[in-house]
Amino acid sequence: MDRRNSMLALLAGSYLAGGKLVQAAQPGLRIGLTPVILADQVAFLSRWGRYLSSTVGCPIDFVARESYQLILDMLFSEQIDAAWICGYPFVRYESSLSLLAVPMYAGQPSYQAYLIRSRKTDGRVQGWADLRGKVLAYSDPLSNSGWLVAQAEMAKAGVKVAELKRTFFAHGHRNVAEAVAAQLADAGSIDGYVWDTMRQQGMNAVSQTEVVWQSERFGFPPLVSKRGNRHPYREALRQALFGMAQDPTGVELLTALNLSGFTPGGVHMYESIRKQARSVGASGVGV
Amino acid sequence: MLRRLPYRIQVPFGLSVAVLVTALLVTGVSARISTTNARAQTLATLERAVVLLVAQAKPLLAGEDTWRMFSLLRDTAALVPGTIARHARLAVLDTRGDVFAASDPTRLATGQALLGQTWHGQPLPSAAQSTRPLRLNLGDGAFLLLEPILSDDGEVVGHVFIEVDASVFEPDWRALFTTALIGVALATLLLVPVGWLVGKRMTRPVARLISFIERIGHEPAQTLRGSVPSTADPELGRIAHAVTQLVDALEQRAMAEARALSAERLAAVGRMTAAVAHEINNPLMGLLTATQTVRLHGENASIRERTVEVLDRGLQQIRTTLAALLPQARIEDRPLEPGDLDDVMALVRASAQSQSTALIQSMEIDSALRVPSAPLRQVMLNLLLNAIKAAGPEGEVSAILKSDEQRVQFSVLNSGKRLLADRFEAALESESGMNPHGFGLWVCRELANHYRGGFELDTSNSEGTRLVFWLPNHELPDNPV
Repeated sequence: MDRRNSMLALLAGSYLAGGKLVQAAQPGLRIGLTPVILADQVAFLSRWGRYLSSTVGCPIDFVARESYQLILDMLFSEQIDAAWICGYPFVRYESSLSLLAVPMYAGQPSYQAYLIRSRKTDGRVQGWADLRGKVLAYSDPLSNSGWLVAQAEMAKAGVKVAELKRTFFAHGHRNVAEAVAAQLADAGSIDGYVWDTMRQQGMNAVSQTEVVWQSERFGFPPLVSKRGNRHPYREALRQALFGMAQDPTGVELLTALNLSGFTPGGVHMYESIRKQARSVGASGVGV
Repeated sequence: MLRRLPYRIQVPFGLSVAVLVTALLVTGVSARISTTNARAQTLATLERAVVLLVAQAKPLLAGEDTWRMFSLLRDTAALVPGTIARHARLAVLDTRGDVFAASDPTRLATGQALLGQTWHGQPLPSAAQSTRPLRLNLGDGAFLLLEPILSDDGEVVGHVFIEVDASVFEPDWRALFTTALIGVALATLLLVPVGWLVGKRMTRPVARLISFIERIGHEPAQTLRGSVPSTADPELGRIAHAVTQLVDALEQRAMAEARALSAERLAAVGRMTAAVAHEINNPLMGLLTATQTVRLHGENASIRERTVEVLDRGLQQIRTTLAALLPQARIEDRPLEPGDLDDVMALVRASAQSQSTALIQSMEIDSALRVPSAPLRQVMLNLLLNAIKAAGPEGEVSAILKSDEQRVQFSVLNSGKRLLADRFEAALESESGMNPHGFGLWVCRELANHYRGGFELDTSNSEGTRLVFWLPNHELPDNPV
């Protein structure tokens, strides 16, 4: 038991003694969110937090950041207890992370990466090979669909990054869609689940873009915790997530997330990402 | 058109129009001032945007954060006039002078070279030359701002580029028109009713005066006196004073008219009294002669009897004449008989003999007489006495009574001075009743009218004067005219 959990256990002991102090010191769970989902809807996160709190039995808060790295830093520094990250950072830091749950999208724990372009650019970008001299928008340096896939596919197409006019990170899949819609970039590498969800929600940026390429299926961005984390409500959180698909309120929340449920999953689901990362020299994932 | 409207409408309407015109003029002047200020305000806004972008873009350039730079430019552009309509563009250029990010990537594409290039027909300085702020009025009326972004140690790390199309500086006529319309509408809604009310209030004393003046002539002057509307306005006060004087004058005139009417009525009564006296006086002379005859020859039974009958019929005539003045005392009259002419001749004979006037009478009775005796006797008596007077001493008077199926006519010819038609007509005028000598003719004419007959001067007669009186010879009407 690390020092933080020791403190939590001490506080749990205080709970048995009763009193207001117990209520205030109840060990909460903080879950970090990255742009793998459309996590900037405060009202939704508040509802989801209340639902999980009542199910798990402890206060649950969500912490959203634009950068995957920031969330990982918070996770490793134990500022948060769990994080919803991308499959790429999971395989990259696999030795330090353990799976909590894997979301199910359209009944499967997998998703695709898209290459998108503006509908107004007369089809100048048909695929990765057409990106020479073009501006490409990524999502995040630690995003599978928003960076790693693009690196791998451009390499396959024989396109060097230096041959592009410019590349930039848009700090989120949603911003990638907006950058391409505004024609700030000629194309964008984006999470297919996010793009589909944006389209489902009728967001304007998606209506101005179109998908020109779809990847193979990858393991869906998982919820992870720091390996060795023994938060007393960690397992309760997992069970709460797994049980959402059987609960009307949970289903309502899953529908808002455009998900069908959560599954325990396994590291094998991320083998395709691991394999792809190994093909990209700058991925940080060893052979 | 306006002048045809009443004064109490003209004034409020004029005030309302004045308010409307004032609102239009004020709006026009405001629009002009607004247009003049718009360019200065736009330029000031652009300068503030430049300052903001220079400060905010520096760390983003250092971090090569195109997305956040785009977000910054997009948000800043919202403050710049014309951006929404895509008439203004903001961009941050990198050290090479290429577009790092722009608010409108469709016009300024990411990575597009700008500095050192020709832009809208005007060459832009190269990146190396762009070390100082540059403000350019482009040929097509557009305005361009180029501001270097300097590091803390004075090195150029990028440039702020803002371009505004000429249309941004043009007056927004639609907005101005809308504003003007709203202004005019507000003025109309708020000020015009006020103007109307003020105008109505101003003209209210006039309306009261008009209402009062309209009562003049319809209401007695006595009731109008004292109810002249009072007003504090000196001009209207003069009008009110004049109206008061008018009412006084009308009151005095009404009183004068009442006095005149009273006098007229008295005169009419006098004329009537004179006429009655005349009609009674006419047979009196004959009756007095008849009494003289009875006194002298009363022992002769025949003469006495005939004279008494003359007296009786003469008195009956007077009675009938008086009865005609009292409608409620109608007396049945008998039809004329040939002997009535003899009676009348007997009554006037004394007058004729007194001045040696010859009397000649004749009758041409071809049909039964169906006319009332009293008015005919009265007419015959009048005409004969007038004729005797007109014939003068040694003159001659000829009376003829005729009758046929249509009419009964009595005519008298005297040998006196010929009566002219205009004199005859003048004598018949009612006003001539003032002259006792004209009463006889006037009464004849009135009786002729009353019984739907006629009374004329025979103008065909060349010697003397011949007057003709006739009545329709039929049953007496129940209701003579």
